[in-house]
Amino acid sequence: MKITLLFFATLRSLTGEKSIEVELPPGSRVADLKSWIADRYPNVAPALVETVLISINREYAGDDDPIPDGAEIALFPPVSGG
Amino acid sequence: MPPTLYSITEDELDLDDLLAQITLPSTGAACFFTGMVRGETQKEGLPPRTEYLEYEAYRPMAEAKMRQIAEEIRERWPTVEGIAIVQRLGRLYPMTPTVLVACTAPHRDTGVFEAARYGIDRLKEIVPIWKKEVGPDGETWVEGEYHPKPGE
Repeated sequence: MKITLLFFATLRSLTGEKSIEVELPPGSRVADLKSWIADRYPNVAPALVETVLISINREYAGDDDPIPDGAEIALFPPVSGG
Repeated sequence: MPPTLYSITEDELDLDDLLAQITLPSTGAACFFTGMVRGETQKEGLPPRTEYLEYEAYRPMAEAKMRQIAEEIRERWPTVEGIAIVQRLGRLYPMTPTVLVACTAPHRDTGVFEAARYGIDRLKEIVPIWKKEVGPDGETWVEGEYHPKPGE
């Protein structure tokens, strides 16, 4: 299944990407996507991947959450707006 | 329906205009929080001087979360009438307004101060916006402290 993966702030500078399309096996969960990201972008340290926030279709998600086909997923540090 | 404004903008914040938009004939109290770019910092662990901040947002989710905060405010403080939550993006220099969280109500003693306080604190927890500190020693993204739970 295909998803859109967005990167913000430090994740953007570390990966050099704003937005990429990713093919994932059906049944993938957030934890699987995090492994994929750590493999593909080795300078995004696994520790960072542990502490980042992930959203699926604009809602906060956790490691166990399943990823729906066609989802918009964003990876970003804890927010610092205001 | 009482006015609920929430937005992300690149434009200079017009505080008078935002106040006017959330003021009703029944309004007796308007509580405004405006965040400013701090140019000089005393707090340990933070850079002492800021040249400017650069703000970035995941806009569609940020707007959705701002709307959620307004709903949370209305549920906790039903006497609040107008609500405005506005964040400015881009490069912002010291002594510049960056964000507005404002609430209006008929009276001041039924939670309008608390509602505005809650609004800014909550924005800093869940709204996907980030700021980068740029100063004489370089630039760093400021990382927040809060980890929203799934579905929050």
